[in-house]
Amino acid sequence: MTSPEATCPHCATAVAPGDRFCEDCGGSLSELRKVAIPRPPSTEAPCTDCGNEARFDEYCTVCGHRREQPDRDEASLGAVVLITDRGIEHAGNEDAAAAGMLVGGDAARPDAIAIVVCDGVSSSEEAHKAAVAASNAGVDAMLAAIAATKKSRAAMLAGLDAAAKAAVAAGTGSAAAPSCTYTAVIVLPAAGSAQITVGNVGDSRAYWLPEPPAAAQQLTVDDSLSQELITAGASPDSEAVRRGAHTLTRWLGADSDPEPWSDSSVQTITADGPGTLLLCSDGLWNYLPDAADIARFCNGVEPSAAARALTEYALDAGGQDNITVAILPIGGTP
Amino acid sequence: MSSAEHQGISVDVDHNPYLAEGSGTVDAIVSVTADVPATGAEPERVEAIIIDCSTSMQAPIEKFEAAKRATAAAIMELVDGTYFTIVDGTEKAASVYPKEGLARASTETKAAAMRAVDGLRPHGGTAMGTWLAHVRGIVGQRKGAIVHAILLTDGKDEHETPEELGQEIGLSEGEFTCDCRGVGTAWEVDELRAISTALLGTVDIVADPEDLADDFASMMKVSMGKSIPDLTLRLWTPAGATIEFVKQVAPTVEDLTHRRVEAGNQCGEYPLGSWGSEDRDYHIQVEVEPAAIGREKLAARVSVVAGDEVVGEGLVKAMWTADTGLSAQISRRVAHYTGQAELAQAVQEGLSARKAGDVRTATAKLQRAMELAVESGNDGTAKLLGRVVEVDERTGTIQLRREVAEADEMALDARSTRTARVRKET
Repeated sequence: MTSPEATCPHCATAVAPGDRFCEDCGGSLSELRKVAIPRPPSTEAPCTDCGNEARFDEYCTVCGHRREQPDRDEASLGAVVLITDRGIEHAGNEDAAAAGMLVGGDAARPDAIAIVVCDGVSSSEEAHKAAVAASNAGVDAMLAAIAATKKSRAAMLAGLDAAAKAAVAAGTGSAAAPSCTYTAVIVLPAAGSAQITVGNVGDSRAYWLPEPPAAAQQLTVDDSLSQELITAGASPDSEAVRRGAHTLTRWLGADSDPEPWSDSSVQTITADGPGTLLLCSDGLWNYLPDAADIARFCNGVEPSAAARALTEYALDAGGQDNITVAILPIGGTP
Repeated sequence: MSSAEHQGISVDVDHNPYLAEGSGTVDAIVSVTADVPATGAEPERVEAIIIDCSTSMQAPIEKFEAAKRATAAAIMELVDGTYFTIVDGTEKAASVYPKEGLARASTETKAAAMRAVDGLRPHGGTAMGTWLAHVRGIVGQRKGAIVHAILLTDGKDEHETPEELGQEIGLSEGEFTCDCRGVGTAWEVDELRAISTALLGTVDIVADPEDLADDFASMMKVSMGKSIPDLTLRLWTPAGATIEFVKQVAPTVEDLTHRRVEAGNQCGEYPLGSWGSEDRDYHIQVEVEPAAIGREKLAARVSVVAGDEVVGEGLVKAMWTADTGLSAQISRRVAHYTGQAELAQAVQEGLSARKAGDVRTATAKLQRAMELAVESGNDGTAKLLGRVVEVDERTGTIQLRREVAEADEMALDARSTRTARVRKET
């Protein structure tokens, strides 16, 4: 709660309780909160294999095991739920997700929420580093831009730009430079509804899943070979489309254009709620390609329960890829 | 690490980190490169030149005259300020110049040393252990210096027991490095190799005494290029691991496995001797406890240590995978150096069988050696082998030559550990 003596952090002018912006300089009075997964395993904890406490780099000084990344990490921030799981087939998790919000006077009603899901491209080494760097940089840049200008589209582009640079910089030099997908949303809540701006590079996805009877819809268009074939008129069931399903045509990081997005990569909708905004990597939608099927897991279900149920579904179906789900309920009672 | 950059030491690990389920054998080629700046503080150097003055050196007298000229040529190469001693080796050892302790190289001392060498006459037997002991006693005065010796002989070690020689070699380890040269063909390759291997030096035959001077000058030049007194390879391995071997594999094969000195905390240390600007490759094989599919562990951590300071480091990682396409791959350099080590062994075993009159074993071993030398592009060894065996162009099989010059056989033996290089994988 803002005390009567509160001042603007930017210009030190006195501000009134409940103000979101400084009357004098126009700067945001909101506080930034953020969470990101997967979180690195604790460096404090003893080795899970032999109990020894000392390490060099990421390796135990006695048994040599690399400290184990947990198979799953979950986090929440306000109403946002994030979950990421290694899956079954992959040795490591190369997905990452981050969420942040600008909180003004009322913590239950943030001024803006930003969420990013990234999927490290497995053909690049250290892909997880690109995913972690891009998701964090994207959220930071989007919220900084929103705090400064309140313009969603400009903030989305600022996030894409920062994420692209972060993905390129994530390489350590010795290995082939890493790359990742990037799916982001900026949500500006209003009474009973929300303005949602979506940005996408690659084949992670964002869905708007309103309570029935309104229809569930996929908000993003995959940057994949199969999507290009479908757009060009090929049948979604054709062999060529099936083969191109995971061939990306755009990504962030190594060997990419500096700005691998176009005007159509960013769009804004108004959600008249209530419903669920969901972001996920292909580790989930591979097994639930239809938006309506994902909606059934979410409608009327508590967000963290829905996120876990979706993750379990993908694991039961084979878990061939890393699974990441981000859920934000919109409108209605939380 | 800034000090590593300052010292110009780099460590590269080349291996296939992927292992199949249940497998725990990790092979890695570790390349250590020293890039020593040409300018900088000159390290303290000590040189000892041991001339065999046994009576056989005067048969023919040209041999002894050549040895004296070679010693003079080596003295000429001494950088001013280098501490040095010239030793007269017979069944005992005596200082020729200076009469006691060490001289410091200057125009005057070098001239005086050459005059003293010129006055030498052959006068006794051969006991190389006493030569090493004598050098050890003198050079021990300058701790921390780069200490190097050149040992020249023309015959066998006759006036002491092999045990006495072995003991002296052991006592000299770590005190100085020693390059050994045999002139003519009446000496034993194995005997000199025992000294040069233990004392981290080279061994070679100089069949024609006329070639001695050039050889001595070039050995001394190389020694003057050394500027790091001692490097140590420190190897950490995980609990439960077995170190199968640690071998230098380039420029020559030298097994270091048994030179391990326990250093605590699952570490062992292996002496690498003195270094100039050069690169050497090591093949390390470690057997670790297998981990589950998807897990990764450190199979070894290789540090290069100068004094108490780690100046370079490389990690040998192991990852277990179900993908046999990954785990079945053998690093090209591991395969190459495995072949080079086998080649050296095949040559030595083949020559030893030939000496013992076991034609069948000799033929089989040298056949294998020839195949390995040709396949791996080790032209030097292939050429030397060609003087000992005849290859049937049509069938590719070999036959031992009836007439083999003794010098050719000894050259093949002495140079059998020289390996061909293979480029680093990028």
